[in-house]
Amino acid sequence: MSVLHQLNDEVAALAEKVKLSLVQVRCGRDGGAAGTVWHPDGLILTNAHVVGGARPRVRLPDGSTLEARVLVRHTSLDLAALAVDAEELCPIPLGDSGALEPGQFVLALGHPWGIKNAVTAGIVMGAGADYLDVKYPQRLVAVNLSLRPGNSGGPLVDSAGRLVGINTMMTGPDSGLAIPVNVAKAFLKEEIGARNS
Amino acid sequence: MTVLSSLSGDLASIVESAGKAVVQVDARRGGAASGAVWANDLVVTANHVLTRDDNINIGIGGDSTTEATIVGRDPTTDLALLRLGKKVGSSLEWTGADGLKVGHFALALGRPGKTVRAMLGIVSALGDGWRTSAGGTIERYIQMDVSAYPGFSGGPLVTVEGKALGVLTTGLLRETTVTVPTSTVKSVVDELLKQGHISRGYLGVGIQPARLPSELRRQTGQETGLIVISVETGSPGEKAGLVMGDTILAIGDKPVRHWDDLLAALGKDRIGVAVNVRILRAGQVQELKTTIGERH
Repeated sequence: MSVLHQLNDEVAALAEKVKLSLVQVRCGRDGGAAGTVWHPDGLILTNAHVVGGARPRVRLPDGSTLEARVLVRHTSLDLAALAVDAEELCPIPLGDSGALEPGQFVLALGHPWGIKNAVTAGIVMGAGADYLDVKYPQRLVAVNLSLRPGNSGGPLVDSAGRLVGINTMMTGPDSGLAIPVNVAKAFLKEEIGARNS
Repeated sequence: MTVLSSLSGDLASIVESAGKAVVQVDARRGGAASGAVWANDLVVTANHVLTRDDNINIGIGGDSTTEATIVGRDPTTDLALLRLGKKVGSSLEWTGADGLKVGHFALALGRPGKTVRAMLGIVSALGDGWRTSAGGTIERYIQMDVSAYPGFSGGPLVTVEGKALGVLTTGLLRETTVTVPTSTVKSVVDELLKQGHISRGYLGVGIQPARLPSELRRQTGQETGLIVISVETGSPGEKAGLVMGDTILAIGDKPVRHWDDLLAALGKDRIGVAVNVRILRAGQVQELKTTIGERH
């Protein structure tokens, strides 16, 4: 049983660590979704479809709720960058979505159906090139894990705890799509000149 | 993070290796499905993904494609066998379900697009042989805890050793993905190779289960029989003298209570066998005779 126990402990530890970089994003009276801390100085990444209309409010891991500014919103990429007035937030080390292989383990965090800080696990299903919605011009990462409303904007991490995607949509009871972190890197670099660490 | 990374790497390796023997099967509009290399130029897939008999294109990785012809179909087990225009370089090791246990990890592999895709789960339920609603016999019931993504039907379910346990399909049970085990795939493949179709016994009647009157229940020890609601012209049932309204009680002295019992009485080994058909007609038990025919 020891490998199974070790696995259990490692996944639980990974989830605990990543939770520190997970925020809640509420826009108006909408149910609420997720966001991923990108930079300690208050830069949050989420989906464009999560924000729109009213000014979003972000609830941080420490429990405080702040108003956020939408720095940039890109509807066709479905990404949005928010800024909150906070310091010393915990970003997740960035991975390389180009190196993702079908079968490798991934973890998703978010607030599915309003369940706060929920974790789902599974594997990378495949490269999304073969089944894109016309809304998403970039390759998406297809994942074999459960995503539900409330997961949008949350982080997808690999077994080493590196950010490899932003969870964006569910495509079935056990499958979904995430925007590759490399696309997010390029988006932020171009739109707000953020340095990638 | 070592165990997790190790697991992750192992999973990716299995997918990469076994995935070379998973092909794309494009024989319907609205999304291709998958197939698994059985041997050499033979590929097994799910029958329901072949909505046409020709113009079947097989994707064998990257942009490579080849054409395929149908060797045979078995709608009752939702399996079909294809012969490719050329051999696929890799093959799968097909294994039985004897060592399989509920809780074991398993990977579902598919190739509805150009690249191999995978889903990870555990063996959620295992059972003995069961009959499909179309009358097929599946030697084991194997179900994973994940429901396959569209396009996975026809692909293999593999163990953590990369061996194929059977063919995945969503076409046998509503809302459920089940795996047709290797033993059943082999039986069907062997018969399709030999004669291009699966033989089944045939009586030629449409039936409906019905509760027997109390006295007959006592007499026969059966709660139900099968009422004949239609008889096909020229069929063995017609030759026996069966008419609408007759209630079949037994065939060849084996009680017939449900649809399953009728199918069991019409197994492949009964083709050409002369049998008694015990019926209830207008309150009287009678014995008719016929010879079981063959259904294609």
